[in-house]
Amino acid sequence: KKMASKISVVLRPVKSIVVRFCPFESNVESTRKFLGCINHKKIQATNRNCEVTADVRHDGSEPLVDVMFADGERLIMKGANLTTIEMLTALRSRCNAKELKEEQKSKKKSP
Amino acid sequence: QDDGYVRLLRRQVEEVFRDNRMIAVCQYNSMPDEDVVLMRHYLRKHNIEVKFVLNEIVRPVLSQSKYKNLLPLFVARNILLVSPETKAKEMLRVLKGVPQINLLGACIDDTILSRQGVENFAKLPSLEASQGQTAGALALLPSQTSSLLQRGSVHLMALLDQHIRRLQAGETGSPAEPAPAQSLGAH
Repeated sequence: KKMASKISVVLRPVKSIVVRFCPFESNVESTRKFLGCINHKKIQATNRNCEVTADVRHDGSEPLVDVMFADGERLIMKGANLTTIEMLTALRSRCNAKELKEEQKSKKKSP
Repeated sequence: QDDGYVRLLRRQVEEVFRDNRMIAVCQYNSMPDEDVVLMRHYLRKHNIEVKFVLNEIVRPVLSQSKYKNLLPLFVARNILLVSPETKAKEMLRVLKGVPQINLLGACIDDTILSRQGVENFAKLPSLEASQGQTAGALALLPSQTSSLLQRGSVHLMALLDQHIRRLQAGETGSPAEPAPAQSLGAH
């Protein structure tokens, strides 16, 4: 079984991440664990300029993770029915895809 | 299945809730040890202690106490900020500088508050100031009573005074004025 803390994410293409949840609700565990994982120093070290904020509310709103990428794209993950591992994996694959695109772009520019 | 150490930890949690007026629950995201030490130092200046807690210990204790509405908070990693005083403003100020600690809610004087509730509580004036304001507001009404009761007779006196002055003015030769009698009659 994969441990959430072992999933490495490269945050270079990410501008900011907002993790929003109502702690008194009962469907926030995976979202809160996600917040704990991306605050890990290994992941934070991949991009010191990436702002990670926690938005703690009490208005019955759904738990969600709002990722803003540097190229303007946005990824919203609704944590109520997702596991921490699913959210981390989704973020990781998006980041890797963007990294790949960047690499291909820079290869084209300087042959 | 309850070994001695678990029982000890549970008793410690019960004591924390019994002996403190303010218990704030925060999510703990990993931070460097030096930052933990610094945060502990600044909070201790305001008589606030940092306690790391295990959900498996806290949950059974809370579920059988009057604090059971705090149960949903105890998932993922948490710490408790506890104090026999209720210096919420100072606590929020220290926490502002520590982004890896997220305030989730608190129990202040046996009242469970959300994060917004704690912020509102921190904005309240001190108890002495509120008591002073209330005493002032209550004293305002009785202070007006005596002047209210005297208003009728004071007004009558003023009108009679004016009437006398006009009669005297009339004796010294100015035209007689029926007006004062009319205005008196209108009342």
